[in-house]
This record gives sequence, C-alpha cells and structure tokens, in this order.
Amino acid sequence: MADTLAGCGVCYRRQGRSVLNGVDLKLCQGDLVSLLGANGAGKTTLLRLLLGFEAPHGGEVRLNGAAMAGQNRRRIARAVAYVPQAHAAPFPYRVDEVVALGRLPRSGLFGPPSQHDRALVAATLERLGIAHLATRPYTALSGGERQLALIARALAQEARLLIMDEPLSGLDYGNQIRLLDQLGRLAADGFGILMTTHHPDHAANCSTRVAVLIDGRIERDGPPAEVVTIDTIHRLYGVRVPQDRLRFRLAP
Amino acid sequence: MSRTAEISLPQTCRRRLATTIAWPLALAVLVTAAMLTALSIGRFPVSWAEILHFLATAAGLSTMEQTRFDALRNILVDIRLPRVLAAALVGMALASSGAAFQAVFRNPLVSPGLLGVLAGSAFGAALAMVLDGSWLLVQTLSFTMGLAAVALGVGIAHIFGSATMVVLVLGGIVSSALFAALLSVVKYVADPLNQLPAIVYWLMGTLAHASLDQLAWTAPPLLVAVTAMSACGRALDALSMGDDEARSLGVPVTALRYGVIAAATLASALTVSIAGTIGWVGLIIPHVARLLLGPGNQLLLPASALLGAGFLIGADCLARTVAEVEIPIGIVTEMVGIPLFLLVLHRSRRGWL
Repeated sequence: MADTLAGCGVCYRRQGRSVLNGVDLKLCQGDLVSLLGANGAGKTTLLRLLLGFEAPHGGEVRLNGAAMAGQNRRRIARAVAYVPQAHAAPFPYRVDEVVALGRLPRSGLFGPPSQHDRALVAATLERLGIAHLATRPYTALSGGERQLALIARALAQEARLLIMDEPLSGLDYGNQIRLLDQLGRLAADGFGILMTTHHPDHAANCSTRVAVLIDGRIERDGPPAEVVTIDTIHRLYGVRVPQDRLRFRLAP
Repeated sequence: MSRTAEISLPQTCRRRLATTIAWPLALAVLVTAAMLTALSIGRFPVSWAEILHFLATAAGLSTMEQTRFDALRNILVDIRLPRVLAAALVGMALASSGAAFQAVFRNPLVSPGLLGVLAGSAFGAALAMVLDGSWLLVQTLSFTMGLAAVALGVGIAHIFGSATMVVLVLGGIVSSALFAALLSVVKYVADPLNQLPAIVYWLMGTLAHASLDQLAWTAPPLLVAVTAMSACGRALDALSMGDDEARSLGVPVTALRYGVIAAATLASALTVSIAGTIGWVGLIIPHVARLLLGPGNQLLLPASALLGAGFLIGADCLARTVAEVEIPIGIVTEMVGIPLFLLVLHRSRRGWL
C-alpha cells in the first residue's frame, strides 16, 4: 500500500502567538513537494509536526489515514524518515556507522547491525554515489557530502516518505543541482519527498508540487508553473521581482 | 568493478570481525593480566606461578603445605583480592558512566560528576564521618546523597519547564555547588584532629577499605548498570546526533536519556561509597578507548569499562608500591591521567577540536 502523510487543519501556537493556523498538506509517494515560506513562517515547525515530534494544538496529522498522535515511534519511523540540515556531529562516527543508524527502527535498538543491514547500507551508499566515503569520519565531510550521508541514512531506514529540512542550504551551486537531480530520481523511484527551501527557482524547476506557507496557512499548492509566479513571490517575500530576473539564462 | 568488490568484501568483513571480537578479547586479557599482576605485587611478592598453584589447590586440583596455603590465602584473598576487585569495579563504573554521559550530553569533555553525583556523595561520606564514623553509614550516606544530588539537579532543570540539555547541565552545576558548600560546612564543624583528616583522605580516594562483604552488595547493581549502558550503544549513537534525529529513528529519547542518567548515577554513587572520589578516570578512559576503537558507542562502552578496570587496577598498584606508605589513588589517577589526557588530546585533535 502506498504511504501517505497528511496534515489536516493543523494549528500550532508558540507563546500564545499563532504560528500555524489550519494547515492542510498532503504527501504521497512519488511526490516531490517544495515548501516555500519566508523566514519564521513556520516551515520547520510544520515539518516537526508532520514528523510527530510535537503534537499540534488543533487539527491532526494522519499517517496512512490514522492519527499519528500516540502511534509507536518505531512504526512511524518505518514509514517516515527525517533528513535534518547537515550539521556537525559531536563525535567523528564513520559514515557507514551514521547510515547504519537508519536500521534502528527496523532491526531494533539493541545489538549490532546484521549482515543484511550492512549489505543494505553498502547498497545505499552506492546508490547515492558516496560509497567511497563509507569509512571516512562524518565530521570530516563537506556540507554536500554530509547531506548525502543523511539522505543515505533515511534511505537505509526503508521509509518511503522523506521529510527534508532545507537540504539545499549551505551547498554550493553544483551540489545543489546534483542533489536536486538525486531527489528527482528518488521521487521517480516512488519516494515521497517534502522539503523546505528558500530557492523558488529550484522549486519551480524540479518539484512535482510547490506549496506556499503564508500567515500560517498553505496559501497555494499545485504544479510549479501555476504556483511560482511573480505574484506569489511578492506575497511570500515582499519583493517584486521583474520577469526577466525570475529565470536567468546562461551563455552556452 | 565486481572484481574489486569481491576482493574488498571479505577484507572489510575480516576487519569488522577484528574490531568487534578481537578488541574486547584483548582488553579482557589485559584486565586479567592486570589482576594477576596486582595480586602478585606488594610487600610480600607472590609469583604468578604461585598464584596459579594456589588457585589449583583451592580448586582441589593440586596440593600445597597447609601453612603456606593459609599464608597465601591471607595475602591473596583477604588482603589483595578485595582491592583488586574494587579497583576493577570502580574503574569500570566510572569509565563507562563517563562514556555514556559524553554521548547523552553530546560533549566529549563531560565527566560522570556533571550532574552532581560526586559532590553529593562526597558530602554524604563526610557527613557520616562526622555523625558516627561507621563505614556502613559512610557508604550508605555517600550513596544516597549522590542520588539525591542528581535528583536535585534534574529537579531544578524541570522547574524551568522543558529540561533542555543546557538547563540540565546548569541544574547539575547548581546542585554540585550546593553540595560542595555543604561539604565545606561539614569540614568546618568536623573535629580537626581526627574527623577532618579522615574526610580529606576519603575525598582523595582510597581502596584500603574495600572488603568482600561490601563488594557482595555493591557489585551486582553496579554491574547491572554498566551492562545496561553498554546495551544501549547504538541508540546512544543516535541520541548523540540530536533529539529530533534520534526520535525520527524510533529511539525513545526521554526514556533513554533518563535511563542512562539513572544508571550512570547509580554506578558512580556506588564507586564513591566503595572508594571515595576518584577523578579523571571517567574523562580520560573514554577518550583513550575512542582513540583505539573509534567513537561508535556499541564498542566504546564495553571497551571503556574494561579499559577503566585495567587502568584503575594499575593505578592502585602504583598507589600501593610507589612509596613506603600508601598514597591515595585519586592522586595517582590525576598524576597519571593528566599527561595521558594531553597525549590523547594531541592525537585526536582532528576529530572534534
């Protein structure tokens, strides 16, 4: 059965201030959804609610139609994986150790990774083209490599829905393009991906859907060509970008 | 491509086998050797061969003159064995508590006393010495005060609502400071001729009071705590990457964090009730283990435990033999630990500094 994750009328308040005010957003397998929103619009909060890290104050989050609240963490982890922003780990774990952590919800919290787990980790690293990094310390990787390692961990989890918090931030242009290609391939392979981003142009180029979070609501949600417009950018960021600057053209 | 895979796969498997089995085995051999050495040296040297002969006789496999047997029994079993076992247990508990705390608090510079357990236990021991001075009371009060100090630290953190890592550390600092102040009060009111020196020596750490009776009731909970922490190795790897990440990997974050804090606190408080406060073991041994075996907690925690046991047995040998009179083991661990720590810092700079 295809996995789906949906926020239905999700509300969230922080210190009395309403952050999310009735968000409806659905993620299915095969989707590559870009979530746009200004700084402080509540993108990360929405991701945390969708992942079940916190309970919404109103509405609910549903995983495969059932309310997520109260569901077993390991069961959620088998369907939904989280890819945080590439960060510095406090200890120099090897990359294959980091990726093998993705097996925890499958093989249990105790005991070493099994033969199957190890084979899967190796295959995942191969799939993302970072097999050569397997024995390097995670802390010694570049930002782009770390992001790929974290994605590899999510894939090793064998969850079909991936929630990514600004996977493109901090990557150089080449790595952004490479990562977007990779995400496109994953979506084509049947993964559902929801990512936050600050790049409307990337969102327009690669996503199957773009959702726009303004004033605590999903104001627009649809194909990039319809959603990413001069008007939307103005609503989002308060700047009016002339048409000729929305897409830049490169000399051949 | 497939050729290289064929060649490299068995090699990596062998290397994994080497790291998962060979190292713990090597460390276990090291600890056994350290125990035998510790049993053999002292004012009356006993050779390894004689120890083995004694063991064989005790097991009924060999014979020995009765007077010789009794003398050996007195030296080995009554005098040296309790110290050696106590050293092993204390080293084990402090080193694995330190390693587990470093993972829970995501900081390689954390030691088991972070939440106040050592300060609380020190106060408890001193209080008992002033009250009546029986060893049973010293052990009981140091143990309970250690737990109370951590409970207070965690409680303070919870007053401020969400007990984040920083607030937890601050709670521990407050609790440590409070119990350090209480310790000063006890020292101030203590009789300066007998009680005060006793308190001061206790705080330097000593294994001289270890007895088999006492170890019989301290060893089981201590070993359970150490084993429980070791079993959580991979979950601790996940936790050390961040709460949200651990949660997304199906780890019960709050239960794991407080479970490990409880186990480490229990083990650390027991060490103070066995041997007073012994510093540095909980900080340096995990670093040495990390340098040898890498940072993965699944291997690091048991390795730290064994390495800590070996280290403290060695330190106790030094404490007993280096001078005419015994010197407190806490002084030895500091004197040996500081240069060792500098060495480790130098070697592992790349990873996290």
